Amino acid sequence: MTSTALSDDRIDRQANPQKGTTLARREAWAGYLFATPALLGLLVFTALPIVASLVLIFLHYDLLTPPKWAGVENVTRLTSDSRMFRIYWNSLRLTVGATFLNNVLGLLLAVGLNRAMPWGIRYLLRTSIFFPVMTTTASLAVVWRFLLTQDRGVVNFLIGQIGLDPVPWLSSSAWALASAMIYDVWKSCGYLMVIYLAGLQGIPTVYYEAARIDGAGFWQQFRNVTLPLISPTAFFAIVISLIGAFQIFDNVWVLTEGGPGDASRVIAMYIYEKAFRGFEMGYASAVSFTLFIILITLTMLQFLGARRWVHYE
Amino acid sequence: MATTTGSSARPISIHKEYRKSVWLHLGEAFLWVLLIGIAVIEIAPISWMFSTSLRDPKNSFDLPPDFWPTALHWQNYLAVINSPDIEFMLFFWNSLKIALIVTGAQLLTCSMAGYAFGRLRFFGRDILFGLFLASLMVPATVTLIPSFIIIRSLDLMNTHWALILPSVTSAFGVFLLRQHFKSLPEELLDAAKIDGAGYFRIYWQILLPLTGPALSALGIFTFLASWNNFVGPLLFLRDWDKFTFPIAIATIRGYMGSGNQSEVLAGIMISIFPLLVFFLLAQRWIVQGAAITGLKG
Repeated sequence: MTSTALSDDRIDRQANPQKGTTLARREAWAGYLFATPALLGLLVFTALPIVASLVLIFLHYDLLTPPKWAGVENVTRLTSDSRMFRIYWNSLRLTVGATFLNNVLGLLLAVGLNRAMPWGIRYLLRTSIFFPVMTTTASLAVVWRFLLTQDRGVVNFLIGQIGLDPVPWLSSSAWALASAMIYDVWKSCGYLMVIYLAGLQGIPTVYYEAARIDGAGFWQQFRNVTLPLISPTAFFAIVISLIGAFQIFDNVWVLTEGGPGDASRVIAMYIYEKAFRGFEMGYASAVSFTLFIILITLTMLQFLGARRWVHYE
Repeated sequence: MATTTGSSARPISIHKEYRKSVWLHLGEAFLWVLLIGIAVIEIAPISWMFSTSLRDPKNSFDLPPDFWPTALHWQNYLAVINSPDIEFMLFFWNSLKIALIVTGAQLLTCSMAGYAFGRLRFFGRDILFGLFLASLMVPATVTLIPSFIIIRSLDLMNTHWALILPSVTSAFGVFLLRQHFKSLPEELLDAAKIDGAGYFRIYWQILLPLTGPALSALGIFTFLASWNNFVGPLLFLRDWDKFTFPIAIATIRGYMGSGNQSEVLAGIMISIFPLLVFFLLAQRWIVQGAAITGLKG
């Protein structure tokens, strides 16, 4: 990806006729000057932290006393941290469920909205579905806590109306993670919808016209025109939403705070708690690096797998 | 399904045509039910919140719930604004100030770097740009702890600078604007150069005005991300009066205890209101912005 992004410049491939001249030097100076502010920000707040977190893995550091050398202790401790593995299992289930549901729903909603309909209806539907994306998780989760309370909650009242027993959405370990997932899908599927909508609008209508002339029905158009042509967008959306889902923090934090017990604790919360409640910076860095390695591996696997299903024109 | 490609060559029987139209209508109906159903589910909690925030506090949580306002108890809103426990105007101002500075700074730094990487030639340019791209793939959680240590050693803890400085630029924004500057025709810049325009003038008077949609998309995403930033304030802020909206909202239950629930919801409504206005005004740009970012990703 990097190589294509960097070599797509028509100007680059021409020989630079002014190389070594005053003009070329002035252009280079301008280039450095214009890039400097962003470069400084990147170095101090992204590159430096990445290097520092690598170093931290080999230290014991509680923020108060000077750091002590730890060797590989933090790394070996990872292998015996059964709590971390249980929390990763939560993260995995949440990630798979949320990524799947968000993408399926996002695509279907986008296909639905991408058809001819009166302007006002489109505006209303799009606003309704996208609205939760815009709103702060912290405030929405307060509302969802009220909605999902067992005794006086609105959701249990509504499912009671159709004769079902109340569900302990947030207080039972069987449901807490599922509730967080439902909340995440409710909150994020509108974002995926907009990404897919953008992809759909890039598909030339002639393809659909040709398919219709060939007698293709709704399902056949979806399967043989929409799906192959949306696959680059879908690939982007799945990669992005998978990385995002593995890092979910606030959506669970404000809803269940990880409880009951560890039932809905996810890995980003575990890292945060190890670092800023347990003050074990070194170990928290080691855990966050396992997440980094998992995400890089998953992304690379997706790029490899993409050859089988992503269709570039 | 495997034979469908061949079917177009054969004459279509009336029976087949009929079956197709039934499937077509079923698919259409399914999409409509899904769209309307999801739209209702998405907006219902917000609508419920609004209606309940207008109920008399005595019966805030009486069932059945209201999904549209049946009472107009605006006193709840006044109570929140005038409450001695929470300083909404202060938190609102904190969030707004930070979001505006961050948005302005990102538009400036990202467009400048986008110009350098997209339009100027200098040694090491592609390697530097590669660094920006690579940093997009590092999860935020990984840099959380060192960022905290850096902010602390810069003596910025418990100040708003701790939220502003790490966000003055973004690799995402640099990438986005570089792509846009690159897509502008070379002849345009040549003409400006012949007319004697310097690098700054080309950037300020030619490139920026031509990238309005991309700039506003980046502006909107940045503003939202800053306004909704949750982990940052949680990490860097200690004093109550420095808090931003999301954190204040999340702790409001603790502050008000078993207090007036309709008032809590009124507080949340007030906090959502600026975003609602913003969204209704900016909707067109948001959809376009997502289109731009979605395709260039």
